[in-house]
Amino acid sequence: MSNRSLRGKVAIVGVGQSPSGRVPDRSPLDLTADATLKALADAGMDKSEIDGVLTGNAFASSFHRFSVALSEYLNIQPSYSNTLQVSGATAAAAVNTAAAAINAGLADTVLVACGDSLLTGMTPDMAIRAMTESRDQQYEMPFGIPVANTFAMTAHRHMKEFGTTPEQMAQVAVTFREHAARTPGAQKTDPITIEDVLASKMVTTPYHKLDCSLISDGGVALILTSAERAYDYAQEPIFILGAGEHYSHEHIFLMPELTETGAVKSAQKAYDMAGISAKDVDVAGIYDCFTGTVLMMLEDLGFCKKGEAGPFVEAGEITYGGTIPTNTHGGMLSYAHPGIPAAWYHFAEVVRQLRNSCGDRQVTDAELGLVHTLGAGFSTQATTILGKESTL
Amino acid sequence: MSEQTIRKPLPTTDGDSQALWDGLKEGKLLLQHCADCGHVQYYQQSLCRLCQSKNLVHKPASGRGKIHSYSVVHRAPGPAFKGDVPYAVLLVELEEGPRMISRLVGNDFDALDFDLPVKLQTVKISDDVCLPYFSLM
Ligand SMILES: [Zn+2]
Repeated sequence: MSNRSLRGKVAIVGVGQSPSGRVPDRSPLDLTADATLKALADAGMDKSEIDGVLTGNAFASSFHRFSVALSEYLNIQPSYSNTLQVSGATAAAAVNTAAAAINAGLADTVLVACGDSLLTGMTPDMAIRAMTESRDQQYEMPFGIPVANTFAMTAHRHMKEFGTTPEQMAQVAVTFREHAARTPGAQKTDPITIEDVLASKMVTTPYHKLDCSLISDGGVALILTSAERAYDYAQEPIFILGAGEHYSHEHIFLMPELTETGAVKSAQKAYDMAGISAKDVDVAGIYDCFTGTVLMMLEDLGFCKKGEAGPFVEAGEITYGGTIPTNTHGGMLSYAHPGIPAAWYHFAEVVRQLRNSCGDRQVTDAELGLVHTLGAGFSTQATTILGKESTL
Repeated sequence: MSEQTIRKPLPTTDGDSQALWDGLKEGKLLLQHCADCGHVQYYQQSLCRLCQSKNLVHKPASGRGKIHSYSVVHRAPGPAFKGDVPYAVLLVELEEGPRMISRLVGNDFDALDFDLPVKLQTVKISDDVCLPYFSLM
């Protein structure tokens, strides 16, 4: 393994979000630019300092080069730009890639942003179709397999192998809804019960409507710069301590094992670079496209043993006072899910937790955070470990 | 909604996959067997995924397999599948080893279970395309 490391070389110095949830009549570029201006204001930075731009793609936008279109929209001319596409894993992959680019001298200060209007910029059918078109057009899509179905089949097998129950999966949705209720701007804040989840419409077994993430509009921006420059701005810098990724397959039928994902390797690489293990992490942002996805990630990221995530969640281990408070903003299940930008919110939340700026949803003494993002039926996995200066 | 958007996605064959789709029209599911290392693959490509040999031979599958996992779709993935719901998507593990995405013939969802034996049944979905579905034994 490479002994080169990003540990402590780059920090997140600005975070911004557009309004999210239902935000009609605002284009993906508008939402992303709005988030960018807020991130610049948060950092106390002028846009002229941004010399790198990384984004994901937006389903409700026709631009193939969203990062280039965003630069034009903001009237900035970066020396480094790319539009990344590894589905749901794009958020952490973009942060990792931005950190690597800064560390390598390709740019000094990189805007990592994404925005989309899945809820009001497209019809619900178009939104779902956008998701399904990411499946193979020969071997998967002719059979009518939505991307939800790939996650459903892994969760279903997890139930078979480990006795995981629908109630345990539902608990994830219930917990994140409780978290969203404390978070200003969350799309869904009404309390729900396990019974509510199980009584909601079946989407694709074993997933009910409330086991599935929302559909939203919104944009999020992060600003990364080198450790040397990080103290020049308004906020406490939050450092990147570790980065790991893993890409194990493209087709769900070529996934090596349905119940153990590439997150194991992605996380291990990130932990090794950071010089920590799962037990050291104080707060987590875990990609929560579906409830069962979170259970499998809790195991594969090392927060509990394989097969034990159901009881772990039932015991309150992913909320305040538990082993690993997770998605304290409410996640994609209750805060917002505008498509690819969805996991940017996990970064925004973990950074705010580490800045100790979360008010009544603050995790006490949070110093080390993890964000794990994934996509395409567990094909793509990316992990970032973040920490305060005290963890360097 | 235009005619185009509600039409079901049909496989667009390519140089790698032409034999598979031609075989299905004759009721055969052709697997690629590596003549060098013995690996068997369903996903058609020019190289063996294990040893990268190009020495691949097509042989029809026995058509026997078992259900590794499944999910019954109630919310259609787009307008084209609205008329089909509910339907069961299967992840079938073939007797020869490879897994594949397929569909259950019929709607006896209560009979579905993990590791249940199933058998191949090709289903004609257009003039040019037969899909490999599976039925319960
Ligand atoms: Zn071979």
